[in-house]
Amino acid sequence: MPYEMIALLMFSTMMLMLLTGQRVFGAIGAVAAASALLLWGDAGGADIPFSAAMKLMKWYPLLTLPMFIFMGYVLSESRIADDLYKMFHVWMGPINGGLAIGTIALMVLISAMNGLSVAGMAIGATIALPELLRRGYDKKMVTGVIQAGSSLGILVPPSVVLVLYAMIARQPVGQLWLAGIFPGLMMAALFVIYIAVRCRISPNLGPALKEDARRDVTLAEKLRLLRAGLLPLGIFASMMVPFVIGWTSLVESSAIGALTAFLAAIIKRRMTRQVFETSLRQTLGISCMFMWIILAALGFGAVFDGLGAVKAIENLFTEQLGLSPWLILILMQLSFLVMGTFLDDTAMLVIVAPLYVPLVDALGFDLIWYGVLYTITTQIAYMTPPFGYNLFLMRAMAPPEITLRDIYGSIIPFVMVMILALVLVMAIPEIALWLPDYVYKK
Amino acid sequence: QSTIKWRLQTYAGPALAEHVIKPAIDSFNKIARDEMQIELYTSDALVPTGELFRAMQKGTIDAVQSDDDSMASPTEVTVFGGYFPFASRYSLDVPVLFNQYGLNEIWDSEYSKLGVKHISAGAWDPCHFATKDPINSLEDLKGKRVFTFPTAGRFMSQFGVVPVTLPWEDIEVAVQTGELDGIAWSGITEDYTVGWADVTNYFLTNNISGAWAGSFFANMDRWNELPDHLKELVKVTFDSSHYYRQWWYWGGEASLRVNGTKMKLTTIPDAEWDQVEKAATIFWDEIAAESETKKKVVDIFKQYNADMQKAGRPYRYN
Amino acid sequence: MREFMRAYVRIVDKFNHHVGRFIMYGIFAMMAVLLWSSISKTFFLPSLWTLEIAQFIMVAYYILGGAYSIQLGSNVRMDLFYATWSKRRKAAFDSVTVFMLLFYLGVLLFGGLESTIYSLEYGERSPTAWRPYIWPIKITMCFGIIMMLLQAISELFKDIATLRGEKL
Ligand code: NA
Ligand code: NA
Repeated sequence: MPYEMIALLMFSTMMLMLLTGQRVFGAIGAVAAASALLLWGDAGGADIPFSAAMKLMKWYPLLTLPMFIFMGYVLSESRIADDLYKMFHVWMGPINGGLAIGTIALMVLISAMNGLSVAGMAIGATIALPELLRRGYDKKMVTGVIQAGSSLGILVPPSVVLVLYAMIARQPVGQLWLAGIFPGLMMAALFVIYIAVRCRISPNLGPALKEDARRDVTLAEKLRLLRAGLLPLGIFASMMVPFVIGWTSLVESSAIGALTAFLAAIIKRRMTRQVFETSLRQTLGISCMFMWIILAALGFGAVFDGLGAVKAIENLFTEQLGLSPWLILILMQLSFLVMGTFLDDTAMLVIVAPLYVPLVDALGFDLIWYGVLYTITTQIAYMTPPFGYNLFLMRAMAPPEITLRDIYGSIIPFVMVMILALVLVMAIPEIALWLPDYVYKK
Repeated sequence: QSTIKWRLQTYAGPALAEHVIKPAIDSFNKIARDEMQIELYTSDALVPTGELFRAMQKGTIDAVQSDDDSMASPTEVTVFGGYFPFASRYSLDVPVLFNQYGLNEIWDSEYSKLGVKHISAGAWDPCHFATKDPINSLEDLKGKRVFTFPTAGRFMSQFGVVPVTLPWEDIEVAVQTGELDGIAWSGITEDYTVGWADVTNYFLTNNISGAWAGSFFANMDRWNELPDHLKELVKVTFDSSHYYRQWWYWGGEASLRVNGTKMKLTTIPDAEWDQVEKAATIFWDEIAAESETKKKVVDIFKQYNADMQKAGRPYRYN
Repeated sequence: MREFMRAYVRIVDKFNHHVGRFIMYGIFAMMAVLLWSSISKTFFLPSLWTLEIAQFIMVAYYILGGAYSIQLGSNVRMDLFYATWSKRRKAAFDSVTVFMLLFYLGVLLFGGLESTIYSLEYGERSPTAWRPYIWPIKITMCFGIIMMLLQAISELFKDIATLRGEKL
């Protein structure tokens, strides 16, 4: 059988297996193991899945993964971000839509301190959401804000999604993270613009804080709250400063960040038994989930590489179909958006990485830049039904007056803004690439 | 009759493989056409380098290009692969040692025992330090976390170097992320070819070995299944890879020292570097004491270097 | 048979639960090692062993924690259809598709055992300057994979029970 056929068969079998609802790593791993055995028989076919485990072990940036997940859970579970939220609340309250804008700012800060979007979601849903509703904000507006804002967690460094992309695409994590900064800030700015314009046109979507509510807060109180911002800043600094000075490596810094967040929660007396338990358990659960998927995916990738299938497919796209590089790239992004509605980020990465990444490379595009494009589509995927983590979380955390319809409806404008951001980064790669180029150019 | 297919994994990453192996594989495939095709995989593609030997022994991979040290072959000669400290001065030393001084026979018997065919050995580049901070004395080496070969690392650790082994593909990043302070894995040609020159600033002209020694291997059964003329073709085209590296590195090293702009050259004065060379003779004896076979190899090194010394210029200048 | 399944589920779940709860604290061990790594690097000579030990702990963390994470239901599924199914229907599908999982884990274990035997036979060491023996971590991995296998079978038993309208 020609390589294209085997490759196609592997992919379609995997998709089919995934549809059965079995755990993703089991489905991918089974297809990988079966094809390794069929192709190479007993002459080592059985080794492929296990040697992926050795590969995984040697890939040191993976150590940051549990660290940043832990950090996120400590931040959200211990609610040490409460004061931070109040700060934005008080300072941004007076303008139309100000609280929503403040929430976006909060999400950017939270994003700089953890690698996923769950922490942002949890903080947004537990702290910001009730407050915003109480102040008469439109419920669709606020659910959208929180889902979209928290998804910045995977674009603004540190980012677990980019760590995984780095592993699979074999690209430098440091550069990828830097590449995420400006697109992340840009996207946040676009959200803010959207909110401001929208609330200006219809002020009832996000009313300004009433005079009396404002008068309650003294200037001293305002300044005290400003200090609340110092704590997260301190956590961020504790990991970034030694790294930038060159005292610690990236991996070491992630451990310092996790430890500092943990200590901060203890000092603020928020590290209760309950919080401790939940953070630890969730970290183990999520880390295991990621690691096992990647483990299975590496096995799959190795078989796929072993087939030499990439060359065949490259050839199919460029020579036989005669597509131009940009057209191929755009098609890829579209396919991501479609897949993103019903697949999760890791599954998406696993499925497309052996196919898209080498192809993008062969077409002459930059893989760092592509990592950012991938991450933005992942953010969108988190919010688009039927399958979306942020949707699920919102569904689970939102108060009863917010219906499923509200949640689904809330994302539309934000997804459009994200698609705009995606197009901007595609059209102007410098948005992503300028910073890493600048930093790593000697 | 169907085409014979081999999978060969090299320990080099893609940028490097482009030079050190791909041309040879391409000519092989061109000549062998439908009879046999070799598919090339770069470092860690199918199996991680640490598992390479076992994978070949079992037949997951048919052939391998690597030094014995990096792939951790379970043989008596493993420490001598890669950069055995000061074993050679020039890249021509390696084929001479193997072809004229009897290393071929030793390697052959060591690997045959394990079901692996040792096809041929060849030389690569010398082993130099490429670092972020300048190295002008042995003192400067202290505490440097350096990516290097296992045995070379063991040797250099007595001078305060902290050897680190990571997957080859991750080295550039590891220097950027501060996991590494430098690299002692190659000469300057590779530093430029694979991008390490972009992340480091200094190149130390003293080397801890004049030439890397590494080999082509194959799974013994796969090898035996080949008809004679294909065996011959494998040997000849692999020799062409050895030949390519001879001139590519030799010329490249000189040219980049002279014309390269990305790295500044520094040197540890001969008198001081002498300590390292002295330490190497002690290290040799330690290794020789470990087993009969190792002693045999060390004796050959000693004999060879003595001969070269006696031969005088241009073989040795001091 | 029912008694056997009940006992099996009880014992396996309990064991995996405890091992998982124990390894959960491994995150602090990783932190400690990495912290020591930064301290030793900044103030003394960098240690040879920190990165590798951290990697070993990480492997133990996710391999030994794997079975517990199945109990916690952390593993994502593609739930396009799955989410809309009834409990029974989910159990019905799972009790068939779990064989994929078992097959994958079986192959993983087979490769792991062979690799471990090789390590023991040749005294394989990590090709680093620190040169630790590799077999302890490989044995840990095999052990964790076995735990996963046992857990997957336990899940199967639970699904069968659900289909019969019982609870184990
Ligand atoms: Na982040
Ligand atoms: Na989605």
